[in-house]
Amino acid sequence: MAGEAAMPRAGRILPAWGLIGWRWISRNPAAAIVPVLLPFLFLYFLRIISPPEYFPLAVAGAMLYTTQNVGSWCLMDAAVNRIELHLQELFVASPLGKVRYLFGVAISNLIPAVPAIVVQGILLALLMPVPLLTWAVLAGCIFVIWILFSAIGIAISTRILSQREVWPIGNLVFSVLGILAPIYYPLAILPPAWQAVARVLPSTYAAQLVQGSLGLIPITAEEMALDAVLLVVSAVIGIAVALSIYRWREP
Amino acid sequence: MAFVRRWKGTGVFLGTELRMTLHDPLAIASSALVEGILLVFVWVLARDLLPFALLGSLVYSLFLIGQYVLSEAAYIRIDHRLNEMYHASPLSPEAYFLGMASGIGIGYVPTTLALFVLALVVVPMTAAGFVAILGVLLAVWTISASIAYTISTLFKDMKAIWPWASLIANVLGVVPPVFYPLDRWPVEWRSLALVLPTSGGAALAEAAAGILPLAQDEVVLAATALGLEALVAFAFTVWWSHRSAREA
Repeated sequence: MAGEAAMPRAGRILPAWGLIGWRWISRNPAAAIVPVLLPFLFLYFLRIISPPEYFPLAVAGAMLYTTQNVGSWCLMDAAVNRIELHLQELFVASPLGKVRYLFGVAISNLIPAVPAIVVQGILLALLMPVPLLTWAVLAGCIFVIWILFSAIGIAISTRILSQREVWPIGNLVFSVLGILAPIYYPLAILPPAWQAVARVLPSTYAAQLVQGSLGLIPITAEEMALDAVLLVVSAVIGIAVALSIYRWREP
Repeated sequence: MAFVRRWKGTGVFLGTELRMTLHDPLAIASSALVEGILLVFVWVLARDLLPFALLGSLVYSLFLIGQYVLSEAAYIRIDHRLNEMYHASPLSPEAYFLGMASGIGIGYVPTTLALFVLALVVVPMTAAGFVAILGVLLAVWTISASIAYTISTLFKDMKAIWPWASLIANVLGVVPPVFYPLDRWPVEWRSLALVLPTSGGAALAEAAAGILPLAQDEVVLAATALGLEALVAFAFTVWWSHRSAREA
């Protein structure tokens, strides 16, 4: 009983996960660069093909897309931990709960994405003046998208049976979600059916908020407030669904 | 007789790899994601460039086969250590390489076929243009599969492979004018674009379809570069497959 009382109940688990994320960058520079390279390649491509007035919107979209991709890396990491390394059994047997494990994996995968998001932020600031309030909106949207997509990634990872499924499932889910939401282009230019589908996705409201606060799309303050509410509501629903399919147990 | 013996087993290994590929429909479905995203961008933001993007995606889909050959060759060698068994068997190293590259190439045909049908709908082409495009695709597949097989023999760790394969495929596929017309690429770098297998192949395919005006010397440059690259890459890989074939 005394021994149990002496057992630490709280530790520095989240910084430890952050350290794991940092080690990933420092030990595998190529592996750290490649996942964040794709949004930049998309930006380069959009710069060439799309009207110039859409470019700031695409840069802001790249920040959301990079954040959204963290979910895909969480899926891969959590699946490797469980299937290949059998580490999840160890975590389940430890005092670490499933929500703290989720946040830990999410933090460790956010670390490699941060430099890319910062560079995209600098690029955005060079392209147009960004008010302080807009940075706050952008940061808030990035935070919500990070939590939501990390939860989705980890939840899906617990249902994957083999290592071979990890890459295609992760890519399929996150690329489709990333491209359906109008983060690289305004919602208004999409066909009506696509707009209807996009309105189910939380990223759509994050994109609307960011684009609206940057003054890149015509939107009223009331509409932005509604978008903020819908972003939070859809994210809460998304996280609840993710937690319901999230399997936390020893095999 | 010696020639037949050298390539004996190609068909069997092709069948093995084809079965492996077809057992993974998710991987086939997800193989066209980058092309899909770029095509969506073009469709939404610059629909007039769709013919270029579709022909480019066709070339890129064949170029991506290299990424799968790289992963598979390394997976068999590093994770399963199966290539020790293959090399100890009568299967020759070149039959192993060609069988693998062909099996994976055929396995991913659904993606290419879907893009080809879309391209035919958007870009009507003559029979000669159609044949020329098939030739370009064959050359791109040869280059990409050969280079990938050679690179795969240099890795010792599976974790290091994915980022490099992805880096090469994305940089050579998205940066040069593969999904957009050659005239949007800096004029001073036009020759470079014509000698790269992805953008050179795309330019030749677009010229064959009659949507990209290319000067005769540019056609000669791109076609010669593509043909030579395919020939040299294939010959080198056959030689290298022998040199690198060994039990662990």
